[in-house]
Amino acid sequence: MFEPFVDVVPSFFGWLNQGPLTLTIFLHTVIVLPMIWIYKQEKARLEQEG
Amino acid sequence: MAKKSVWSDNRFWQRSAAWITGFASVLLIWLTFDSMGQISMGTDADLQSGVTKRVPAPTVINYKITYEMDTKRGHEVPVIGEKEKFFGRDDWSEEEAASLLHLGKLGSQAKNCMNCHTLLGNGAYYAPDLTKAWLDPAWGPTGSMQAMTGKNTKEEAMAEFLQHPSTYPTHARMMPNLGITAEEAKGLVAFLKHMSSIDTNGFPRNFGRMQGAVNGK
Repeated sequence: MFEPFVDVVPSFFGWLNQGPLTLTIFLHTVIVLPMIWIYKQEKARLEQEG
Repeated sequence: MAKKSVWSDNRFWQRSAAWITGFASVLLIWLTFDSMGQISMGTDADLQSGVTKRVPAPTVINYKITYEMDTKRGHEVPVIGEKEKFFGRDDWSEEEAASLLHLGKLGSQAKNCMNCHTLLGNGAYYAPDLTKAWLDPAWGPTGSMQAMTGKNTKEEAMAEFLQHPSTYPTHARMMPNLGITAEEAKGLVAFLKHMSSIDTNGFPRNFGRMQGAVNGK
């Protein structure tokens, strides 16, 4: 899954694009985790209002 | 009244969409600047001190370029070697080399090379991919193209072919005569030589399989 970084110029995007799972894991982390946090906040708000 | 679900709540989707849009925008703007840094052209000083740039300086035409397998990266990379004469000179200055390359670039656009050929992934596959054309062994000292034109160097053979393509039968799809002048042909060959020195992460993918293209074998 993780391979040694061999790109000609070291770059965050080179690291991100080194394998099929690195990009997937990164995007799921930064998109889904905050959505879980937003979900909990909204749930708490709805419960308070209800 | 039934308990309201978060999934049917507008605010949850609004905030999620705002987060994803904002984050993606930041990422794409960052990516733009990162790419600009990677594709910026190197300088003559970089070449002399052996600094590797994806896009070397125009003065790379003063050097020998080979294509070698990089086992670590899993594909071939252009390697800039010792000095090599280009049209009889190996001391093209930065200005001279840049203006020659510029002439070649304008020529390639004016003659619409991309109508048939591919340059760095852009263009057509009616005629051979020109991204690494300079490294094609057919133009080398033992190559059929160089022999056909009767010239002694790769650059002279390519320039001769470009000026009179229809006199040299190459292919079932012959290149038409485009009225390329001697000076334009020189620029085009410089443009092609520089292009072959660009690190394209192994593109075009099948070029290395060409007999004699890699490591001069």
